[in-house]
Amino acid sequence: MQREKEWDWEIDPKYHWFKWELGAIPRYKDLLYRLVRRDLLANYQQSVLGPLWILVQPVLTTLLYWIIFGRIVKVSTNGVPPLPFYLSGIICWNFFADCLSGTMYTFITNSAIFSKVWFPRLLVPLSGILAHSLRLAIQLGLFILLYGYYYLHNRLPGPGIGWLMLPIVLLLTGLFGLGVGLILSVATAKYRDLDYSLQFILRLWMFASPVFYPAAIIPAGFVLWFWLNPLTPLIEAFRALCFGWGAIPAGYLWMAAGTVLAVLIVGVALFKRHETSLTDIV
Amino acid sequence: MIKVEGISKYYRLGTQGAGRFREDFGHWWRGTPGPSRDGVSGKEAHIWALRDVSFTIGEGEVAGFIGKNGAGKSTLLKIISRITRPTEGRIRGRGRIASLLEVGTGFHSELTGRENIFLNGHILGMTRREIQSQFDEIVDFSGVGAFLDTPVKRYSSGMYVRLAFAVAAHLMPEILIVDEVLAVGDAEFQQKCLRKMKEISGKKGRTVLFVSHNLQALGNLCQRVFILEKGRLADSGPPTAMIARYLREDCIQCLRQAYDDPVVAPGNAHIRIKRVELIPSYPGEEELIDVRTALRLELEFWYEPTGSEDIIVGIHLFTLGGDCIFDVASPRSYPGKGLIRASCEIPAHFLNDGSYYISIVFVSNTTKRLFYFESCLSFEVADHRENTAWYGKWMGHVRPDFKVQLETYNPFAHV
Repeated sequence: MQREKEWDWEIDPKYHWFKWELGAIPRYKDLLYRLVRRDLLANYQQSVLGPLWILVQPVLTTLLYWIIFGRIVKVSTNGVPPLPFYLSGIICWNFFADCLSGTMYTFITNSAIFSKVWFPRLLVPLSGILAHSLRLAIQLGLFILLYGYYYLHNRLPGPGIGWLMLPIVLLLTGLFGLGVGLILSVATAKYRDLDYSLQFILRLWMFASPVFYPAAIIPAGFVLWFWLNPLTPLIEAFRALCFGWGAIPAGYLWMAAGTVLAVLIVGVALFKRHETSLTDIV
Repeated sequence: MIKVEGISKYYRLGTQGAGRFREDFGHWWRGTPGPSRDGVSGKEAHIWALRDVSFTIGEGEVAGFIGKNGAGKSTLLKIISRITRPTEGRIRGRGRIASLLEVGTGFHSELTGRENIFLNGHILGMTRREIQSQFDEIVDFSGVGAFLDTPVKRYSSGMYVRLAFAVAAHLMPEILIVDEVLAVGDAEFQQKCLRKMKEISGKKGRTVLFVSHNLQALGNLCQRVFILEKGRLADSGPPTAMIARYLREDCIQCLRQAYDDPVVAPGNAHIRIKRVELIPSYPGEEELIDVRTALRLELEFWYEPTGSEDIIVGIHLFTLGGDCIFDVASPRSYPGKGLIRASCEIPAHFLNDGSYYISIVFVSNTTKRLFYFESCLSFEVADHRENTAWYGKWMGHVRPDFKVQLETYNPFAHV
């Protein structure tokens, strides 16, 4: 019996929902760092504008929203100057959408590596999240500059103690994207015909989230439905903290946190359960 | 140390591919079972790629695996490498594993050679410290030093492979799993790799699991060889005995097909095959076809001409990979109906070591194909070398014994 304990590792045919092997990840921290680096380097060596693209994209989108929703359609911004209002929504939404779409094709884009060498597969989505967090940090820098400008002109309140909550709100946003992405990564590997519908749903989802409008203008009959979308309380919380709107309903915020956690657990469990069997398919 | 206990791997055919959500959802909605795809009926639509394989490999042991294509070698290595999961059985082990199922896994073409050394090294399980401590050696081994900061997409394929193998060769796991990576690169580099492999297993005492079609390299590196046959472990033992047994097995070599009754014989209204046979004249005692063996092809068939047409019999020899080595044909002739005999001689010192198959074609009036007896014979040519320290794969499909001469004609010339 003593010898039985001497084995370092064991491979068995069982499928486990909750054998996550997260303990293996710290050993691979060098790989995680390299994957993040690869992601950033390879992406920006290929594009014309290089790393500048991280800023160009939200700036152009903000300007476009300002023209369309601010000037033409005239959607309320809840008393906030339009540019910081749109930029905050775009930054939050982009972070979520990038985390999601970066994760949802994990098995398809990495099938060549996955069929040749083993390492904790979760590293790939994790590295994507980290790379997107770096992009987020740069975009937040831009947001702070814009914020500072409006603050100096007395059009926005100064930063308060509530700003310490911002990282938590953004963390939940990223983890939500990761969780949904993990679930979808199993689905896209199994069903190739899901791709178009998912792209479409993602686009609709943006309109259903308060990116270019404040939650305050949602008609009473729809309020519950909009707030059940975890992105509504998250984006609203981000804006409330930045623009001094006062508290948003704590119940919805707790529910969003709960949903994010649940989706994340389901995502990781589904991912871990299927990671090896999907290699046989893709 | 690896202990493999009763490993089986079951693959469903057809249904294994990525499916369509619409179909599966539809079946679920209507409560009907989904049909197996590709029109394969349920009962036949599976294979056991591995069936109840058990063995133990000790620390520092170098084990080789041989078997025909599809015998399960690669599946076995993939299961041990944790890339795919066994259907039954379990494997336990001690020591860190690194598997090398393909060199250059995870290379990114946009990144420089330097970046890729780290990326690839990490993917194979090395830490940054390990890579840094061996970085110079890796660069030196690969010989791409001048291009270290060039994106690898600008590398020639040779440079790419050399860099990839250099990283892999400097892995420091306790258990190394290698699948057929010696089939890449030029001859000089292969030699370097084999020397490195020998060093890894010999001096450093690592456990190595090794799959190769290069039987000579296998015989030289391994202490024990396992033969896999249709997913089962057929035998294991010292390399020379195992390699000889492997080559003797008629599962690899189909040297003869004979039919007494024209009704069941392969063919059609014009041609029926009576016998097709490859007769080796072995150079030594051993019944082993190697590069020194001459082969005589004999063919007998029943012939029923439709009129006064002519007939040509052609012999196509292919490598297992499907490259045609030659296409030789008889002159046009006008035999009457009856049994016809044909023969052809493949001389010694002509084919290189490797696996080959033969197809025979029957043509009339130069263009009309009467019958094509496809891959009717197959055989394996073993390597044979004398007085050489070099065990890499000899290049080329043929290995003719042309003499290459060297002489000094000006002793006073300088480099």
